[in-house]
Amino acid sequence: MSNRFFQGVVYQLRESIDKTVGVLDENGTVVACSELIKVGEKHEDVAIAVNSTFDVVKQDGYTYKPISPAPGYEYIAFVEGTDEITEKYISLVVIALTNVKQYYDEKYDKNNFIKNVILDNILPGDIYIKARELHFETEAYRVAILIRLSDKSDVSAFDILQSLFPDKQKDFIINVNETDIVLVKEVKDTNDNKDLEKLAKSIIDIINSELYIKAFIGIGTIVDNIRDLPRSFNDAQVALEVGKVFDTEKHIMTYDNLGIGRLIYQLPTSLCEMFLSEIFKKGSIESLDYETLFTIQKFFENNLNVSETSRKLFVHRNTLVYRLEKIRKLTGLDLRRFDHAIVFKVALMVKRYLVSNPTKF
Amino acid sequence: MSSLSLKGIYKRYPGGVVAVSDFNLEIEDKEFLVLVGPSGCGKSTTLRMIAGLEEITEGELYIGDKIVNDIAPKDRDIAMVFQNYALYPHMTVFDNMAFGLKLRKTPKDEIKRRVEEAAKILDISHLLDRKPKALSGGQRQRVALGRAIVREPKVFLLDEPLSNLDAKLRAQMRTELSKIHHNLETTFIYVTHDQTEAMTMATRIVVMKDGFIQQVDVPQALYNKPCNMFVAGFIGSPQMNFVDAEIVEKSGDLYLEFKGNSLKLPASKINDDVRSYIGKPVVFGVRPEHVHDEERYLEEMPDYVIDADVEVTELMGAETFLYLDVDGAKLTAKVAPTTTAKADERIKIAVSLEHIHLFDKETQKTIIN
Repeated sequence: MSNRFFQGVVYQLRESIDKTVGVLDENGTVVACSELIKVGEKHEDVAIAVNSTFDVVKQDGYTYKPISPAPGYEYIAFVEGTDEITEKYISLVVIALTNVKQYYDEKYDKNNFIKNVILDNILPGDIYIKARELHFETEAYRVAILIRLSDKSDVSAFDILQSLFPDKQKDFIINVNETDIVLVKEVKDTNDNKDLEKLAKSIIDIINSELYIKAFIGIGTIVDNIRDLPRSFNDAQVALEVGKVFDTEKHIMTYDNLGIGRLIYQLPTSLCEMFLSEIFKKGSIESLDYETLFTIQKFFENNLNVSETSRKLFVHRNTLVYRLEKIRKLTGLDLRRFDHAIVFKVALMVKRYLVSNPTKF
Repeated sequence: MSSLSLKGIYKRYPGGVVAVSDFNLEIEDKEFLVLVGPSGCGKSTTLRMIAGLEEITEGELYIGDKIVNDIAPKDRDIAMVFQNYALYPHMTVFDNMAFGLKLRKTPKDEIKRRVEEAAKILDISHLLDRKPKALSGGQRQRVALGRAIVREPKVFLLDEPLSNLDAKLRAQMRTELSKIHHNLETTFIYVTHDQTEAMTMATRIVVMKDGFIQQVDVPQALYNKPCNMFVAGFIGSPQMNFVDAEIVEKSGDLYLEFKGNSLKLPASKINDDVRSYIGKPVVFGVRPEHVHDEERYLEEMPDYVIDADVEVTELMGAETFLYLDVDGAKLTAKVAPTTTAKADERIKIAVSLEHIHLFDKETQKTIIN
């Protein structure tokens, strides 16, 4: 943030309260002060003290307070004096400086800019103008990673992610809503899905172990220009939705690896319903009980191998053959035949898609 | 009191995938329990159900005497360490370990006390001012452990925490983890696919496959008395040799016949169960260390000597592995490094039948150990 904004405000405050007022950065360096001579002075011990309390610290005749109370603050305000009235002054100073910072962030902040880009809140033509204003590299490899928390948490996942990706020039953490956070990350052109999945895994692990909540991650496609970032974000959203329907046991979904699920997700529901009624002419898919569906699932998992499936199900081979015959009579599909099996597999997926009714992006 | 009890636990996903089936286990206080099995066997899912990060579809989970199925993970008094431990890059080791406590507004003095205590246990007190990039892989792993230790939980859940380390560091950290467990006197539940980790650290091992518990026992018992072919093959490196065979009775004695060889079963390997397999196909298993090529064994066990072709030899330093072909049956032998056997040679080997295991070919269950 431009320190001149702070400097303008501390001059005005000095006139009102007649005390030295200033701002330290997170390393304890004075970045703005009503006494210009102090700018550049180091107060590392103050930064350490504030870092361990995140609250008011009184030291060497000054009162200090972080400009945002949560971990990850960027600035500390200070006022000369340690008495009770100074404590009130520092609170007012922090309110004033927080507002200035917020105004600055909204106008000049890169994070805010990226947020507007991925949410399509900025005209395509304005993207480049704004990017130039912010000295923002428009052509770089970036990817949007959508992190969805299963629950709200007392502790901010946003703070944790910002601490995990502290490079504010290359990585951007954006709160989309109460449970969704987007990480827009600059990546190397050599990065592939495997690297991104590893990164996603470490994000999930840290959310699990720090917040004790479940998280799901959708990885978008890597794009090479800022104007394509909304597409990457959209892909990340699609990946999460498709995963929610077809890969319920997975926590990380990559848009590039959605397979047949992506195809089905694109289909209109009326077409899906037509397909199901066409396939199950002889009897509805609902007529199959849980045990039968579980048998089918295992049969598919074991590559239509009757002996292997019966071993896995702890049933006699003939029992399995009997069950497959029953399915054939009910549906007209003989799952031992590859073409029938594939039709059934797709039909099951279509059914799941219709039941879960995912959001379309 | 940090004992755990898992009763009839199932995990079924909406798509029909069953990750864990009928999981019953009592975990004692201060135990170092290792869940081991191939990938996809349900061990991580089980751990995540204990943590509360996966809902339990069916069954009951107790921590102490309290049922915790519906208790939020943060209220279960557990701490987790995962494989992909990420440290906060711009924070010092102290801050990395303190971060979770700060977020929970733990008092400053308490944070300092806990971090310093954990650092002492982990032997990283001298690294507290360093940033992650100045640490080695092993040191980073200790910091990740430290983040869990400062929470002072009743139960530690560790999901393949050593997988990202190289082989040498992994071996070092195995010893370190055992020491840490001993010092903390807390329950550890540890997931790995590496049987060596399981054997070296566990007080008890749970072997899993396809979502089912195969066997639960202390490491030595698992090694010596596996309950089926899967456990026998999974535990031990190089893995147990398996050979299709038939039990045949000749003038009152029982013989193991395979690939044209006939070896008389010793009395210790004969009981009523074994007798019921006369004339039936079985699989016999023998560990590589019980296949010998040294002269003294050949002399000691003349009845168990057979011919084998050496395909490959691997000198490991303290021992040599011989990969053998016995008329089509593949055997691995772990012999002394002084062996003179060379590839493409035909040698005599002694199979110590006192140490074999017999398995039902159909069910793969153990007939005799």
